[in-house]
Amino acid sequence: MLIDYRFKTLDPIRNNVNWILRPLEYIMLTPRNVYQASTEYFTTRGTLEQENQIFKARQAELALLANQSEFLLIENQNLRQLMDLQKQVGFKTLPVEILFNPPNPISQRVVINRGSDDGLKLGNPIANDAGILGQVVRLYDRSAEVSLLEDRDFAVPVQVARNGLRAAVFGAGRGNPLELRYLPVASDLEVGDILITSGIDGVYPPGFAVAVISRIERNVDKNSSNVFCVPIAAVNRYRQALAFLYDPQWDAKAPTLNGKFGGNIAIPNSAPGRRQTRSRGMQ
Amino acid sequence: MIDLESGYILRPVNPVFIYFSLFCALLLNLLPIGNYGWVPDWLIVCIIFWNIHQHRYIGVTWAFIFGLLMDVHNSDLLGLHAFSYALVAYIAIAWQKRIVALSVASQALHLLPIFLLVALFPLLMHWILSGEIIWWALTGAGQAFIEALLWPLATRILLAPQRRPIDVDHTRPL
Repeated sequence: MLIDYRFKTLDPIRNNVNWILRPLEYIMLTPRNVYQASTEYFTTRGTLEQENQIFKARQAELALLANQSEFLLIENQNLRQLMDLQKQVGFKTLPVEILFNPPNPISQRVVINRGSDDGLKLGNPIANDAGILGQVVRLYDRSAEVSLLEDRDFAVPVQVARNGLRAAVFGAGRGNPLELRYLPVASDLEVGDILITSGIDGVYPPGFAVAVISRIERNVDKNSSNVFCVPIAAVNRYRQALAFLYDPQWDAKAPTLNGKFGGNIAIPNSAPGRRQTRSRGMQ
Repeated sequence: MIDLESGYILRPVNPVFIYFSLFCALLLNLLPIGNYGWVPDWLIVCIIFWNIHQHRYIGVTWAFIFGLLMDVHNSDLLGLHAFSYALVAYIAIAWQKRIVALSVASQALHLLPIFLLVALFPLLMHWILSGEIIWWALTGAGQAFIEALLWPLATRILLAPQRRPIDVDHTRPL
């Protein structure tokens, strides 16, 4: 136990045990999947029609935004080049499926069905359409474990979307609201502010929603404020998610490497700056 | 072996049934019920049952192996369950003579501390390693109580093949 805790050298053993265990886990997932599939199968025509209408409206809206964003992206790149700023790095997404939530009183994790064989790396963020869900903390060949936002002391560097104030959101354990720590009393925060990833850590791509501030307790004596937030993405609800294959160092590599990843955002590979990332020693 | 409840002599156990039941318990443990404190650990009920009734077949080694599997499944520290299962298996074997003689309800009561130890072991270990107690994890105690309640059921199901009568007279069923 101590060896695993301190040195994390036993992961190969874990990987091998996983080869035996994973098929059994898949077998035991089938009752739940069959149940869910059957409930989905028996949805009425009315609800489907309703959903269809909502999706159509949403799709029209998004298509419009997408046209706009292409233009903004190029404009942004040009402006950044003009001002000699560092370029934004593109990333590739990988659809993943959340398999199950291992019963573990200490941590809040989920297991997903993609692993290092699919190009996933340690520390890759996982998100759904609403916002960030968590981060890959342990990698197997065909699966991976993801720490959720709610996990204890799980930190995400964020920025308040309204005014760009930087902070870090910490998980406080299962069922507890997230905390925004280390902020002075006088910081400009309001209930309802949306926190987005700031991207300064080089792990999360910037600009993705993480949480909404739900409660602020200003503590004048200690010159600190307790700020509590709620994650935007429903952390324990959906089974489909996206993994961001994001590495800020990609821009510093030779252009030939880019074809291998085939990113879905075409951004030229020459950037003036290179951001260093430290491999993080999370378990 | 004598069934001390009814006084009858039980049939010899079939080792295949032991391993099959353990495998089923393992599968039950892999069910994606979710990360709740009360979800019973079927495997430890089964392991302790066989430790108490047939410790020649299922001993500390098997408990260790199954514990290792559960560690990987639960993404715990490697060895957490392996150690606690093995420890508990040892205790169960040491208490075996005493516990078999009791009635099923008091057996469950006697095994409650064992189940509590397994359920709260991760919390204890985390406390020793990092020095902080996660109070939320104390809900694991609920798991131990549910496991103790499951004990009569386990006794009924797992001893059923041995309680079959040896020769059935089909012309006179009673």
